Amino acid sequence: MELIQLAKRLEGLQTADSISVNLGVGKRTAVNYVWQLRKKGYVETVYGKRKIRMYKISPIKPIKTGYPGLYEFLNQNSKIRIYPPYTNRIYDHKPTAEEMIVKAVQTGDFRTVLSALNLFNKIKDWALLSKIAKKENIGRKIGALYDAARTIIRARRIDERTRKSLLKSEVDSKFIIKNARTKDLNHIEKMWNVYLPFNKADLEAYKE
Amino acid sequence: MINLEEQISLFKNVIGTQLKRKVECIAIGGSAMMFYQAKNSTKDVDLVFLKKEDLEAVKEILFNSGFNERKNIKGIFREDEETSKPVMMESPETRFDLFLNEVIGFKIYHATIERLREVHEFGKFIVKTASPEDILMMKGCTERARDRDDAAELIKKVNINWEIIISETSNQTKIGMLDFPLLLYEFLTELKENYKIDVPKDITKELLAIAEKQFKELKKKGQLIKVTKYQKTRKFIY
Repeated sequence: MELIQLAKRLEGLQTADSISVNLGVGKRTAVNYVWQLRKKGYVETVYGKRKIRMYKISPIKPIKTGYPGLYEFLNQNSKIRIYPPYTNRIYDHKPTAEEMIVKAVQTGDFRTVLSALNLFNKIKDWALLSKIAKKENIGRKIGALYDAARTIIRARRIDERTRKSLLKSEVDSKFIIKNARTKDLNHIEKMWNVYLPFNKADLEAYKE
Repeated sequence: MINLEEQISLFKNVIGTQLKRKVECIAIGGSAMMFYQAKNSTKDVDLVFLKKEDLEAVKEILFNSGFNERKNIKGIFREDEETSKPVMMESPETRFDLFLNEVIGFKIYHATIERLREVHEFGKFIVKTASPEDILMMKGCTERARDRDDAAELIKKVNINWEIIISETSNQTKIGMLDFPLLLYEFLTELKENYKIDVPKDITKELLAIAEKQFKELKKKGQLIKVTKYQKTRKFIY
């Protein structure tokens, strides 16, 4: 079988076991097929929970020019991994944690926002974060998420000037994720006057 | 001809740097196929815009960068509708075809946007790539031989979700593209026969059934369709 046909047949996330079942071959032969596919650029290895090795197989070879977009950036920098809904590349500049937090919040997706909390640990320029967030009208949301992140992960302290500036900023809507409200972090919600989507149990994912 | 690197450089250095606000578009045809690495080079860069002001902004930048607008556009475009004709901006090396909402007999709407597979950001210029299924369907609406070559190559290299093709065919007829099922049926049959491409039998059967149902309904209503490209070969179309 041609390798492209093999990549088409095995498209998606696979393990050595699933490939051997799918093709009706032994596990060792399955690993050999993965090796051949990887050589041609059809395979990317990712690790699941308990370090289980998984193979992301696609007949479309990923483009390596430019810089990683939102989902790849989150997967590189956060403990909570996301299966990207689409490939995203940025060509004109190297993305920063500051702009990626803002982008993650704009997606309005629960897991993406949860994953982005870890990026507060990577912030180097608080003023830049505040500037981008205010431009997109999500300043107070970012502030609230920062405080929520601090309850579960170690993050650098935000400087007071940025905090005040974020507190004064305007938001389009109070919801970070549509119709989602916390039961546990009400004191943060009250302070920032926005609705947080996470309960404490959701944030426990960072402790696993 | 233009390859992927040159295309990226054009998007980044010519358009992305000069735009004053965020502009989004969808790459289709050979341009999108290059992002999928299903093609090495393309003759023209095809982009679909959803807002007229976005198209105008890119057109102006291209004009200021030495691209001239081609006025006499003839041939494969539907004669009755001005909107399906693209704005063609050409330089000696390459050509940009800028479409607004519709591409030669195929309408772009929210379902097409939901199926997008890749997003490429060139500063303020955001290029999204149409899904392989949409590219295939758009290729099906033209008569050019090179589009058949491209479609054959695409089916060979990428897994096509045929269910999307069937459901989209029904949707296109609902939004006014009445001739779409028949054009696609002819296109896939030709690919199957001439290029020995593996198109599932039930898919072509289903397409034909949709087309026939469409004609029966139109006949009942006494409505006529104008499909100039098949005028000579098919008796039941006016």
